[in-house]
Amino acid sequence: MPLALASSAVHVRNIAPGFVSTPGRAPTSTTVHPVALFSILDHYLRRTNAQERVIGTLLGTRSDTGEIEVRSAFAVLHSETSEQVAVDMEYHHAMYELHHKVNPKEVIVGWYSTGSHLNTYSALIQNFYSQETAPHQAIHLQLNAGTEEGQAAGVKAYVSSPVGISPKPENCVFVPIPCELQFKEAERSGLDLLLSAAKGNADEFPSTDLDVLDRALATVSDMLDRVLVYVRSVLAGEVKGDAAVGRYLMDTFGASTEELEKGAFNTSLQDTLMVSYLANLVRSQAEVSSRLALTRAS
Amino acid sequence: MAAAPSMAAAIAASLPAPSTAPTPAAPTHEAIPASMAKVIDLEADIPLTCVQLDGMVVSKIIKHARESQGSSAHGILLGLDLDGTLEVSNSFALPQHINDDDDKSVKGIARYQASMLRSLKEVQADDSIIGFYQAMSLGSFYNQSLVETQAIQQDKLRHGGIVLVHDISQTARGNAAFRAFRLTRAFFDAYKRNNFSTDSLISHRLTFSSILEEVPIKIRTSPLLGAFLETLSAPSTSPVSEPSSASAQASVALPPSFSVLNLGTNDVNKNLEQVIEAMDAYKTEEGNIAYNQRQIAREKAKADAYVAKRKEDNAARLAQGLAPLPEEDVSRLFKIPPEPSRLESMMLLGRIDAYSKTLEETSSTGLVKMYAARGTANV
Repeated sequence: MPLALASSAVHVRNIAPGFVSTPGRAPTSTTVHPVALFSILDHYLRRTNAQERVIGTLLGTRSDTGEIEVRSAFAVLHSETSEQVAVDMEYHHAMYELHHKVNPKEVIVGWYSTGSHLNTYSALIQNFYSQETAPHQAIHLQLNAGTEEGQAAGVKAYVSSPVGISPKPENCVFVPIPCELQFKEAERSGLDLLLSAAKGNADEFPSTDLDVLDRALATVSDMLDRVLVYVRSVLAGEVKGDAAVGRYLMDTFGASTEELEKGAFNTSLQDTLMVSYLANLVRSQAEVSSRLALTRAS
Repeated sequence: MAAAPSMAAAIAASLPAPSTAPTPAAPTHEAIPASMAKVIDLEADIPLTCVQLDGMVVSKIIKHARESQGSSAHGILLGLDLDGTLEVSNSFALPQHINDDDDKSVKGIARYQASMLRSLKEVQADDSIIGFYQAMSLGSFYNQSLVETQAIQQDKLRHGGIVLVHDISQTARGNAAFRAFRLTRAFFDAYKRNNFSTDSLISHRLTFSSILEEVPIKIRTSPLLGAFLETLSAPSTSPVSEPSSASAQASVALPPSFSVLNLGTNDVNKNLEQVIEAMDAYKTEEGNIAYNQRQIAREKAKADAYVAKRKEDNAARLAQGLAPLPEEDVSRLFKIPPEPSRLESMMLLGRIDAYSKTLEETSSTGLVKMYAARGTANV
């Protein structure tokens, strides 16, 4: 699940040059949890007028294969003027300590900034974070909120690589690495909730399981209609059939339903009805019991 | 910036008596619009009608709850209230209780909270506590610690604070569930007196369903977040493959998901077990209460018998012309145990009810899904 418009560029594997010794694997790819993204966006919303961009620390885990999982982020104070850049290191350390208490597994993996410019200051901040994440390399996540005209919202990830004959902190090349959105399936419904809220159906909350099911079934029914229209038009010869689409349809509708026909449906139906009956019985008993507690004194 | 001084004046004017806030402070100022009166709410007079959850808070809580499955995840909600709507704009997780020194861990958490708030304030985030959140499983959140925490903060916080519960199992089933609660007045009153005897329950008309009252929830995403989510769920074609061919792989960061339609009913077993467990616990608790009550009845009968006997004796002695024996304090002779608190049994009933409600809901959606599956099978 890529996070930005894909580019046609090939990701160059960042092989550590001879004069930099990096134990472990260099970061090869990153995955970002939605929480980190939303925290960055919130921080960006709360910036002061003077701030052009905001930066913060990324927390997450590293795997042996060089994948970095960004799981959360927190804001860090910094100031940029034309002469200098300053990052509040004390704040950064204090905040990391606090986060570490709640979630000891998450360590500093890099930093984020908003906007889409990489400049000398980026290199300097990258140098600072590289010290924080040593001996591992720090990654830099750049989130474009899409607020400026002509720029699409998206996230890019970079690792840095020293450049020049004599390595200096302000000289470095940011090498892009692949970056994807990742979350557990169990968290998916939270995102669905936010999506429906973003589309303006906020009133539908809180919805019961049945409501959600109803909406899902309606969507499925819509999709079936679309497929039906497509298939009919192919059959009528109006559109040239696409072999790939046909294969997908075949796989989807060819699912075996033998189990259901062998009486499994009725057994399962009986079980479900039984459970439903039992649940109702328990509930009414509990209600009666609580009422009885109120009358016993007389 | 003409509104700022007049607003400040209005705040100053409304300090002694908030009800006079709508009247203009001075003729030279602009009249305060009626809407302003709603903004200036120093005494928290406007009752809460709604809780508004920010998108970031939603995802933060879900992540925290999922990661610390098994142990209960809880944390603090930050935000402010405006015109009857409690806006929750940020949250942070609290560290798990460490089982060493209780006093020490409480202090540690307080210190953690204070420094977290200070840090958040520095980056212009909201830093006023408005409640706390708690993760739960299978719909059951009634327990003593939740009620205790809420009772403490109901005293301290503006508007009494709210507790937000999040159901992990329901979210895994495809319906992100958040509910906001606060204690009802009747329960809070009984709790403050620490009196959950039968009489108190009757006078407060308390059952498990009247411990907490629910506050409706709204989800809000900031326009920025909404736009970002839209971009994520919109398909984008890779520039490498030819866009004209229909088979070009359209990649979406957030593909639509249909986990709701999953027929699996793994949760039902666990749910049933939990119902049974809760019922066993309730049975034990009821047994304890019944035992206590028998004890009380026995002691009371003894005391009554003693008093009656003493009266009889005295009557006899009076008839014989002797001085009556002194009326002794019965309560000192017979230890009548205090009436047992029914709070725990009430909580257990609430738990049973919540578990079976979840069970009922899963089975009802299960029915729909089964018929849907059979429908497709017959095609």
